[in-house]
Amino acid sequence: MFKSMRVNSRANKPKPALENPSISQLIGDANLPVTIKALNSLPENPKLRLCRTLIPIKILSDFAINPRTWKNPEGLLQVKLIADNGSDHIKISAWHGENPGNEFFYLELADNVYNGIDLNFVLVSNPTSERFGTDLDEQGRETLFGTVHRNLVEEEKAMRAGLAPGQIREGLHSSQIVINHIETFLTMMAHHAFFLEPLTYVSALIFEKRGFAYSKGHHMMDSIQREFQPGGELNKALDGSSVFRQPDQWKTARGRAWAIHDGILDVIDKKWDGLKMIKQVGRHAGVETFPDAQY
Amino acid sequence: MINRFQITRAAELGSLEIFRNFIIECCTKYSIPGEVVLDLKLAVDEACANIIEHGYKGMDPGSIILSFWIEPDRILVQITDFGQVFEPVEGLKPDMEAALNNDEMGGIGLYLIYRIMDNIDYQVSVEGNTLTFTKCFRAG
Repeated sequence: MFKSMRVNSRANKPKPALENPSISQLIGDANLPVTIKALNSLPENPKLRLCRTLIPIKILSDFAINPRTWKNPEGLLQVKLIADNGSDHIKISAWHGENPGNEFFYLELADNVYNGIDLNFVLVSNPTSERFGTDLDEQGRETLFGTVHRNLVEEEKAMRAGLAPGQIREGLHSSQIVINHIETFLTMMAHHAFFLEPLTYVSALIFEKRGFAYSKGHHMMDSIQREFQPGGELNKALDGSSVFRQPDQWKTARGRAWAIHDGILDVIDKKWDGLKMIKQVGRHAGVETFPDAQY
Repeated sequence: MINRFQITRAAELGSLEIFRNFIIECCTKYSIPGEVVLDLKLAVDEACANIIEHGYKGMDPGSIILSFWIEPDRILVQITDFGQVFEPVEGLKPDMEAALNNDEMGGIGLYLIYRIMDNIDYQVSVEGNTLTFTKCFRAG
């Protein structure tokens, strides 16, 4: 005989309402996950009230932006929310000064096909720090973080200034507080986790520190760690053949990240794609694929 | 008082020994009886081997999170992964004769878990698959 046993091999997560939730639905069952598409179908004011929680107050106040009105002391709007009715995305950005293109905060959440939530993009950078033009190549084309085109001159300058691949400015070291706010927001939406695809090796390591686990790619991160050790294939490929492949780069997260950005994973027949990370709300997974990493 | 422990590793065979050693290390601190530790190691080993073999099959493996809570008279174990769902229920009644004649010994692992552990629960969702079981014991 078997001992006490309960098996639930079907998804236990209640199916979220896909669209047109009424207020009564939102207040009726607090455990019912709400999709972003459903949230977007709310009237503007309640939607705004809910989405305000996505930007940490500390970050706004550092730039003298009122967290309720989203205006600066001169009365200029400094935050924009895009949460259109019918869309399954929320985009929220904050900028410094008069140019909305000068964003220091940008966050994009979206429904995914599994009834979960993806963090498509998050950027928190210091708008007063030096800007590096790694986002445009020498012909003025968008590099899409160096994934489509590259601007090697600007990348080298950014690397020497201590930035990681994909950054155009230094960060604000606020990833923890941003993740906390996203978790609070998703808890309000009755979701238990969210997903992302790390853009770079450095971002994967930062998200590890913030409590993420891997739904894909943990093994690859272990392989990268192993092969960057002295005697490993990636370590050997740090042969000085380019500024992004200098021998000492294996010692730091950023050094490894630039080499990976430069395509060094080819030597172990891998590519930097297909990694997927998951953060369970309220749980720190404790992953550390680069123990005691120096950044 | 509840004492919680957790370790996360990639879903690969090399992690099994790390999980076993982690169990030994934590149980030793709390003087858990040897036969309980043996059962725990066996159950965790089999559950994780299934995740490695089936859950993350065909993909670059993700993580396995092993957590356990030690109480004076029981240990609660939780194993979380983010791979494909495999059906533990299929492992409940293995054909022992066939399995013993088969090099792969399929199905026996889960059968063992159900035999040696208490209060087994398996929950599946987009946010992770979680196998939970308890091992009750008489405190020494």
